[in-house]
Amino acid sequence: MIKIGNRAIREILGFLLIYLLLAVVFEILNPGFWSTQIVLSMAVQLPELGLLTLAMFIPIVSGGLNLANTILANICGIVLAWFLVGYAGGEAPLIVVVFACLLALTIGFAFGAAMGTIVAYFGIHPIMVTLSMMIFLQGLGEFITRGGDISGLASNFQFLGYGTVIGVPIPLAVFVAASIICHLFMAKTPLGFTIYMIGSNIRASEFSGLATKRALIWIYAASGVLCAVAGIIMTARFNSVRVGHGESYLLISVLACFLGAVHPFGGFGRVSSVFLAVLILQLVSSGLNGLGANQHLSTALWGALLVLVMILRWALIRLSSSRL
Amino acid sequence: MLKLLRFGLKAVAVGAIILSLSTLALAQDNPRIGLVVKVGGLPWFNAMEQGLQEKGAELGLVGQMIGPTSADPALQVRAIEDLIAQGVEVIGVVPNDAAALEPVLKKAMDQGIKVITHESPDQENAHWDFEMVSAKGFGEAHAELFAKVTGGKGPYALYVGSLTVPLHNLWADYALEYLAANYPDMTLIGDRYGVAESVDDSRQTALDLMAANPDLVGFLTFGSQGPIGAGRAVEERRVADTVQIVGSFSPGQGMKLLKAGAIDGGYMWNPRQAGEVFATLADMLLNDIEIVDGMTIDGLGEVHPDFENGNIIVDQLQPITTSTVDELAAMGL
Repeated sequence: MIKIGNRAIREILGFLLIYLLLAVVFEILNPGFWSTQIVLSMAVQLPELGLLTLAMFIPIVSGGLNLANTILANICGIVLAWFLVGYAGGEAPLIVVVFACLLALTIGFAFGAAMGTIVAYFGIHPIMVTLSMMIFLQGLGEFITRGGDISGLASNFQFLGYGTVIGVPIPLAVFVAASIICHLFMAKTPLGFTIYMIGSNIRASEFSGLATKRALIWIYAASGVLCAVAGIIMTARFNSVRVGHGESYLLISVLACFLGAVHPFGGFGRVSSVFLAVLILQLVSSGLNGLGANQHLSTALWGALLVLVMILRWALIRLSSSRL
Repeated sequence: MLKLLRFGLKAVAVGAIILSLSTLALAQDNPRIGLVVKVGGLPWFNAMEQGLQEKGAELGLVGQMIGPTSADPALQVRAIEDLIAQGVEVIGVVPNDAAALEPVLKKAMDQGIKVITHESPDQENAHWDFEMVSAKGFGEAHAELFAKVTGGKGPYALYVGSLTVPLHNLWADYALEYLAANYPDMTLIGDRYGVAESVDDSRQTALDLMAANPDLVGFLTFGSQGPIGAGRAVEERRVADTVQIVGSFSPGQGMKLLKAGAIDGGYMWNPRQAGEVFATLADMLLNDIEIVDGMTIDGLGEVHPDFENGNIIVDQLQPITTSTVDELAAMGL
């Protein structure tokens, strides 16, 4: 047990080192880069991608994928916005806002559980199930909204996107809370353990008496709920929602998981590392924006960073095993 | 291992130095304008960036363009967040989705940043939106050119990109109205054809229409592929002298057909000029120069702003003719 703990701490320290290195590089290249402003800017940008990455993380650990994450987030946002705007337009009592958020979470849970059920009981690969769901929801969303957006949400709902609690932006607080809950869920609960086992070897898990089918439903349901949280935050931040918002986050959320040392075929991965990976991606993005660099270059650097980190990781493993 | 690490660090350092070379040269005391466009890497927005930077340099502004990697409003919001954090003085945007930008632009304005938008009339939370062409001006200019090249009489056909593209149909409405009022001898064949987003459909429809109407004098098309498709049909049938084609198209794509006389001309607006206007308006806002009715603004000409909705709409049409097409195509447009 102690050994695992050590490895986890080593991994976290490694990510912190990369983060610090990049932070120093950006400060050298762009003196005055680090300011309260930039920290706040990164803090409010992080959560959308971060929550979607968590929604991608759980299925990846189980050896699957959730390609429907961004679209599902927007569908939840659309239902929420439709309810809020339909109910009250510009002003809504707090209870209605709470109810609308619960509605969005329920929708996320329901679609997630539906995907999980299909994966579990029909034995179809998650890539196909979630891809079908993504396309289904995309079409449905375009149909419901006629390709346009729903905007003009209640001001106390927008508070979720731009408000602060004791100086902390609410989206960030939500993301940090979601990360901690995710960590506890994956590391401390029997269900979390089952998810890791499913990712390592689903047949062996099943023969060992683990309830894999039920766990698969929970995996996608949990992912769906995280999508819904991301959808609520995005809707609040943009004061509008449409099917296409944040669609570019889909592949980046996969990238963030791999950068966070999640095993591509499942079974291994830590929430803490994924959290730091998202921080690093945001730093690269904001840092390059600060330098006035081309956005395509920042995408290219994300890719390069992933390759670099993987090579470094390989080298570290070689180094530590040769010492043994 | 150490070697590998060292190599990695070197690679990062070299990359970073290359990056910084361009930015370090900029003077930090000049006011900065950050322009967020729909998508990066398109010739249209490259031309806009060039205009912004040239005009900006002339006025003592530092222009910076951010082009997201896809037309996703979420990426534009992120880019604007970063611009606010950097403390730029002016933010310019060509929105992908006007509504999604409202909160972040409000945040910018709350911090005293000037906000200018383009191609987004009635934008909330912006000081001004400017449009290089009005729907009326664009439709009527094409109609007038079309009447001129066809001699102002005879049957003609009208293309739009698709029957569901609101802007194309608005242009078409104004053009039809103008032709009906000023050239009553011109008659529209059928209804408008929603084919001008596709070269093949435009070509096929043109061939069919010419076969069915031997006395057809021309095609007026709104939608970028209409002139190209119809132009090919006219060239195939060798009727470039009798059937005229007018419409807006991409200069690089239609250059050959225009020079061959199959396409007879059209109008567009110049993204480079739009980039210059961003700089000019930014400079005016920063120097508290009030924009008043009837004043002349560099790049926009005489303006009659809509103060209520914050729109400045002018008709700075860029004709696409045999003499301008080379220059426009060279810009990659």
